[in-house]
Amino acid sequence: MRFLALVLPGLALLGPWLAPFDPLDQDLLALNQPPGAVHWLGTDHLGRDVLSRLLAGAGTTLAVAALGTALALLLGGLAGLILSGLGRGAEWLGFAVVDTLRGLPPLLLGLVALAAMGPGLAPLVLALALSYAPLFAHVARTARRREEAADYVLAAVVSGAGPWRVLLRHILPNVAGPLVTLAAITLPRCVVTESVLSFLGLGAAPDAPTWGRMAADAARLAEAAPHALLVPVTAIALATAAAAALGNAVRRQVDPRRA
Amino acid sequence: MKRSLAILATSLAHGLAITFGLFLLFGAIPGDAVDVLASAGDLDESQQAAMRAELGLDQPAWRRFLAWGAAALAGDLGTSQRFGQPVGPMLWEAAGVTLQLCALSGALGILLAFGLCLAQAAGSRGAQLAVEAINLWSIALPTFCIGVAALLLFSVWLGWLPAIGGLLAPVLILGIDNAGQIAKPLSEEVAEVVARPHVMAARARGLTPLGLARWHVLPLAAPVAVSLTGVMLAGLLGGTLTMELLFGLPGMGALVLNGIQGRDQPVVLAGLVAAALAIVLVNALSAVMQSVLDPRLGGRE
Repeated sequence: MRFLALVLPGLALLGPWLAPFDPLDQDLLALNQPPGAVHWLGTDHLGRDVLSRLLAGAGTTLAVAALGTALALLLGGLAGLILSGLGRGAEWLGFAVVDTLRGLPPLLLGLVALAAMGPGLAPLVLALALSYAPLFAHVARTARRREEAADYVLAAVVSGAGPWRVLLRHILPNVAGPLVTLAAITLPRCVVTESVLSFLGLGAAPDAPTWGRMAADAARLAEAAPHALLVPVTAIALATAAAAALGNAVRRQVDPRRA
Repeated sequence: MKRSLAILATSLAHGLAITFGLFLLFGAIPGDAVDVLASAGDLDESQQAAMRAELGLDQPAWRRFLAWGAAALAGDLGTSQRFGQPVGPMLWEAAGVTLQLCALSGALGILLAFGLCLAQAAGSRGAQLAVEAINLWSIALPTFCIGVAALLLFSVWLGWLPAIGGLLAPVLILGIDNAGQIAKPLSEEVAEVVARPHVMAARARGLTPLGLARWHVLPLAAPVAVSLTGVMLAGLLGGTLTMELLFGLPGMGALVLNGIQGRDQPVVLAGLVAAALAIVLVNALSAVMQSVLDPRLGGRE
């Protein structure tokens, strides 16, 4: 699975060169064809090559999930660090908002964000980021509190280090570990959430080849072309498992104590 | 008691804040009913303003929120723009389907996870393997993917279940996934309890596995179990959404999604508020149960 975690981004990057057909090209004389010599993974209900769409969708799915995770890390981490340094009133108010959002499941928050912003790739990334950011904010705050109480930070403060120096030199390197660990856990969840939101028709544009959208299109015609449904769904499951394996590996690297 | 009240007060604040946020997003949209009428070309500026005043649309957002909230509490959730029906009964009907799905799959998940963990505490090697297996299953395979595979296998290829409207497949899929989410942490807790000296002493005296579960494992593992169950139930709503869509169940997920696609704001608003409040309620109940079951939590904050 960890091997797959390296292969999938490679496939996504090389996808446009590897794909045997244009992912948007419709061949109306070859609808719903089962896998064969010309179309290795068959064609869908509009005669589009499933393998080419799968490769094109890999880029979209992985990029959206990775960007969503990165943005959640950035937004949540910054919010947690900044809010926890602002003094009690501001921290309380900021974390009241964070806590309010944290109680809701990411899929619901994503649904709300996309319903408010309308479908599209940028709103999708933002929706993922907003859904997962509250967790990052919490982890950042907890990690900061723990480090601030540590002896070496107290020693630095006593020997005259200013608040910015303490934050950048001492706190940030130690807060980064838990945040990266959380990002590693978040990535596979983002892959699934992206697929589900695209499946629901709230993600990318209707003809954009994302895995969730491919599955949604094929689900309505499962009897005529079961392969067109099975292929993207298997890809989603494999990508999730690969991202989870990668996350585990990263977590062991970053946080050897909990391995 | 004091702590329970504090939890309830915080949850009430969360619920209000979420409701207000959702109202700002979906209830107070700039394109209102007057715009629609005006676009037909029959109203001049002053008539529009008069009509807005009559409908209360010129009021600030918080006033309209209060008016909407008061009506909602009295059971009036507005009228669906798309179907012209009152939203309340639509929501009620959809909530019934979703609640049924949630209750059945939640119960299945809890029973399965607890059963396996207790069997493991009693020393069953098979149960331990089963815990590992369903844990891996729920991590690696999203319910969405299993749902599609089940739809293909049973409905399309084997022709067993009705593809649309059947509760059995979604309940099984969600139930096993739920069990997988909580079984692993629960089994770790149970293993820790079983390894304690007094429990080992009780076993050495010949306590039956059932007695062990009843007198030692359940009381000690209960707080963890309650908190895990709370997490599971709160996450269940996301799972039911995909299942409803895949298997064509007319629940809350389907209602909200159709509302979003049909730009039916009153339905979207009511559905999302109901879902969010349900989750806040579940979180609050689980936190209260936890603080009651585990008095140590009370002193910690």
